[in-house]
Amino acid sequence: MFDVIVRGGTVVDGTGAPGFAGDVAVKDGRIAAVGQISGEARTVVDARGRVVAPGFIDPHTHFDVQLLWDGAARPALEHGVTCVVPGNCSLSLAPLKADDRKAVVGMFQQIEEMPPEAFTTAFEWTWEDFAGYRAAIEKGLSINVAPLVGHSVIRLWVMGPASQERAAFPDEIAAMQALLRECLKAGAVGLSTSFVDLDAHGKPVPSRYAQFDELDALCAVLGEFGRMLQVVPEFYATDITIARIDQLAELSIRHGIPTTFSPLFDTLAVPDNAERAIARVEEQFARGARVWPQMQTRPIDISFSLLRPSLFFARLPRWVRILRQPLEQRVAALTDPDTRAKMLADLGPDGGEAMFGRLVARGGDACPPEYVGKTLSEIARLRGQPAGLALIKLSLENGLDVAFLSASQGHQSTDRIGPMLAHPLVHIGASDGGAHLASFSTYGDTGYLFSEFVRKAGAMSLEKAVAKITSETADIWGLKDRGRLAPGQCADIVVFDADAIDRGDELPAFDMPGDGMRYVRAARGVDTVLVNGEVAYAQGAYTASRSGVVCV
Amino acid sequence: MVLSRQRRFVTPGPEETIEELAARALPGQPLQAAVDSIKSWNLHVFAMRRPPGLMLGSDVIFVEPPVSNG
Repeated sequence: MFDVIVRGGTVVDGTGAPGFAGDVAVKDGRIAAVGQISGEARTVVDARGRVVAPGFIDPHTHFDVQLLWDGAARPALEHGVTCVVPGNCSLSLAPLKADDRKAVVGMFQQIEEMPPEAFTTAFEWTWEDFAGYRAAIEKGLSINVAPLVGHSVIRLWVMGPASQERAAFPDEIAAMQALLRECLKAGAVGLSTSFVDLDAHGKPVPSRYAQFDELDALCAVLGEFGRMLQVVPEFYATDITIARIDQLAELSIRHGIPTTFSPLFDTLAVPDNAERAIARVEEQFARGARVWPQMQTRPIDISFSLLRPSLFFARLPRWVRILRQPLEQRVAALTDPDTRAKMLADLGPDGGEAMFGRLVARGGDACPPEYVGKTLSEIARLRGQPAGLALIKLSLENGLDVAFLSASQGHQSTDRIGPMLAHPLVHIGASDGGAHLASFSTYGDTGYLFSEFVRKAGAMSLEKAVAKITSETADIWGLKDRGRLAPGQCADIVVFDADAIDRGDELPAFDMPGDGMRYVRAARGVDTVLVNGEVAYAQGAYTASRSGVVCV
Repeated sequence: MVLSRQRRFVTPGPEETIEELAARALPGQPLQAAVDSIKSWNLHVFAMRRPPGLMLGSDVIFVEPPVSNG
């Protein structure tokens, strides 16, 4: 008697091999058999007309805090994702001393745009070390987690405020090595670092103060375990990205570790950016390095309102400062004629037409209906105001609750991106799941891979697409017994309709702690998701199963 | 495997100043010219960063102009 049989589907086993008609049987959380199976099971999942594949793995997320109250990392799981990697970009929630929590929460807010309530109202801080954090999330997981530990928090733990002032002394580097070793023993899948991020005060995060010899020493510890180094490079500058690829290659070869950098974007503003980076990756792989560029599937769209800070204004420091103020002060600043004049002057002589004119009023909020769906340029004309002033005044008149969409900011050419995603050395990832909550939806990139790049563009076969986000990801990250449908493998399984799997429309949801808002996309075409042999999602609903584990 | 030529760079040493870095990276040049060159090749540090010129241990500092890939 099996526990589960997924019966009658097309088995796409994650290896890239052609799909075949068959069943998948599960016993004790593992796959027991694949093929024509005659036995019985306590649960039978009808997969006729559907694809049966290994669960998808998302290697770049920031679900660190959400996992403390939502063990399914909703809505990632319903998209067929059965394993997430949080702790990217040098930031994790452990190891973290109680006195340093405020500083790290500020970094999460600044870099990943997470609301403060997510850290203050939804859970109790019960840990400082990595094992304690692991125990805290493991209480309620229905998705698997392979957590990275952040370089910035390791540095902060060892050096305190000096972590954002100077290079580390040899004894401090040794202490960081010992701490990293402890984290890896407690289940960290690797180390993340950042070369670009700023904290809540606009100061570089601790990892950026590290000399290369510090990173090298930490990678020596990763080498003891064969674990991953993830970095955020200066992705907006090709020469610097290539320099980072070379640094990663040196570390990879010297310590025998896999490395990955994310994101790698395609942009028509620098048409050879991704192409040159990939060419360098090819050269470095040829000499034995492992440097995996992560590329996301979705185009870059950013939504914002003046209700909260947004990365949309990253190039306007005055706007950032004003929008980071508490609501009352923010409204006062936006209303003050002198302040407003300075803000508008920042936009240039056209009053913001070039910068803001193509923004579209999203609707579904307090925006007057006559403006919904119109560009800010059109709205400005209707109101007889320059675009920047129209943005501010329209927002003030409606409690700041007017959201705008800045579509297609880059990475939107399917013809260019499809072949890159199919490239054997390009790692599909960089979803940023669980971050940038009020800027864009970070869920559904896997559905978009199938709808846009398999069905519409034919950039790769269904089997190849499945392999890219299952077995290849598991192999890159060293996730043992994940990513394939074969006897003995962990039974992470997704059943989906190959003709329908997709991401839904981007919609605001008010399901974050403190009634916080985020943009989400529901899954389309995903029927059933099993995690370690238990049905975690079926026919549009999450189950009570809590079969997820820290899978390192 | 021979790697293709890419732009050469260094990383700053602990507490290293721009003058010290320029002298190290471009030893054959007059100091001020070397400093000016380093600054002009690294706008990501010396123009776009706040405060401008704050060098961090992890920075990539180019020691030559962009190379032709044509």
